[in-house]
Amino acid sequence: MTYNKPIPTRGTHTVPFWEGAKEGKLMLPRCQDCNRVHWYPRFICPHCHSTNLEWVEASGEGKIHTYAVQHLVFGPWEPEAPYVTAYIDLNEGDRMLTVLRGVDPQKPEDIKIGARVKVEFEQANEDTYIPFWRVIEE
Amino acid sequence: MPGQLYKSAAIVGAAEANEIGFLAEPKTSLQLHIEAIKNLSNQTGVPISKIEGVFSTGWSSELCEHLGIKPKYIDTTAVGGCSFEMHVHHAMAAIHSGIIDIALVTHGENGFSARKIGGRGTGNYGRGAGVASPAAEMSMAYGLGSAPSNYAHAMVRHMHRYGTTTEDYAHIAKVTRDWATLNPRAAMYSKEKHPFGGPISVAQVEESRLIAWPLTILHCCMVADHGGAVLIASPKVAAGLNTKPVWLAGAGESMGHANMLEMEDFTATSASRSAEAAYTMAGMGPGEMELAMIYDSFTITAAITAEMLGLAAPGEGHTLWKDGHAAPGGRLPINTNGGGLSFNHSGMYGMPLLIEAYRQLSGTAEDGVHGDVGKQTSAKTCIVNGTGGALSTTGTLVLVADD
Repeated sequence: MTYNKPIPTRGTHTVPFWEGAKEGKLMLPRCQDCNRVHWYPRFICPHCHSTNLEWVEASGEGKIHTYAVQHLVFGPWEPEAPYVTAYIDLNEGDRMLTVLRGVDPQKPEDIKIGARVKVEFEQANEDTYIPFWRVIEE
Repeated sequence: MPGQLYKSAAIVGAAEANEIGFLAEPKTSLQLHIEAIKNLSNQTGVPISKIEGVFSTGWSSELCEHLGIKPKYIDTTAVGGCSFEMHVHHAMAAIHSGIIDIALVTHGENGFSARKIGGRGTGNYGRGAGVASPAAEMSMAYGLGSAPSNYAHAMVRHMHRYGTTTEDYAHIAKVTRDWATLNPRAAMYSKEKHPFGGPISVAQVEESRLIAWPLTILHCCMVADHGGAVLIASPKVAAGLNTKPVWLAGAGESMGHANMLEMEDFTATSASRSAEAAYTMAGMGPGEMELAMIYDSFTITAAITAEMLGLAAPGEGHTLWKDGHAAPGGRLPINTNGGGLSFNHSGMYGMPLLIEAYRQLSGTAEDGVHGDVGKQTSAKTCIVNGTGGALSTTGTLVLVADD
């Protein structure tokens, strides 16, 4: 089935992220001076302002930081409502947004902040694989 | 005799992006900004982290977030090519007045590269139109859009951290509606004025339609039409007018982030810093505030902000409403116009906050109806706090009534 949700429009410095995604790898920018990972990708380290940045492959694991259930939605996501959006604390540090998988949007109270999640990639077009996060069954 | 700003500041460095001209490999406006800023820092030896004020055409909060800095003076004046000269002027005033010591005026515009990848001068970073930033690139796939879709995440985290409940916040909507029923100008003043107007119960707030769980529609502000203006004058001018002055005793501003993706602590906003600056300037504290006008885009916004302003302990903001303190007749009236929740909110609610604060402190807020006294309070001091973006930017004022 054709992917019918918004597909990210890319900048010039995020090529390694999208190339990694094609191979099922979660790539994160890391500062070679202070060794800290940051997200979203910058032109400069937001922690120490070094420009010696590199891309590293991440574990693809993390935990739910917070979440919400989207009921009133307009646009391409509307047919999916209700669905759960979440911010994920990455094992390597910093945070990503996702539409959370493996949860019941009708039972938001059952979703646990701190629950472990793992990344997976969905093909959106020939060139784009989009990361989504899924709750790991305990 | 020279003007007040004479020699009040100096330019201490000037730098450009790594490459300028007709670039073979296209660059984004954002990248050109960042390169120039990095080079300026290297040239002057002033670390980027020491920058206190940021001036750019249109997207200073996005730039600051990218740099990981939280300045206390944020200017985005964008009126064309002369904007940067104005930025310098504004920076001089900010420095002269003692608010900041170090200001960055910055520019990045990929006029040539834009032919290949889109973009231009007042924002825009990516390939093609409509890409605001790398944060947008990494967020746009995930079905968020409206303000409630974002703010709901903060409410969930606040409930998780403090054990608060949706019912706690529902009291904010209920009490704020009570104020609106004293204000005939409020959109939700009465059933006659609006089918959904008039008093509401906590249960009604809880049971109303879900927008973004846990936010039901009655936890959300309206989107209506509003226009307003305030006049600011010098003490000398004010003395010659027939209207009552309300004195600007303190002011402060700050930001936490531009995109919610970068919100460090979902239970806190930069209002703690903007309020600290305003209180310090005013020489007053939260205990001396007799009225509060707090941007209530959502009930959770009001609750968190009350905590940030020091009006309640962390996790207890909602108790101001739940225990009746914020209600008509309470010890600390809050949002006496009926708030963004029930008075009016057109998208940006900062102006109604100012208007109501002025009316209250100048004694012109009576709006008495049904033979009631109305919403006029006896407050002589008021804290006003506006919140912008996705709990991103904040501006705080401390106002004091004329003697």
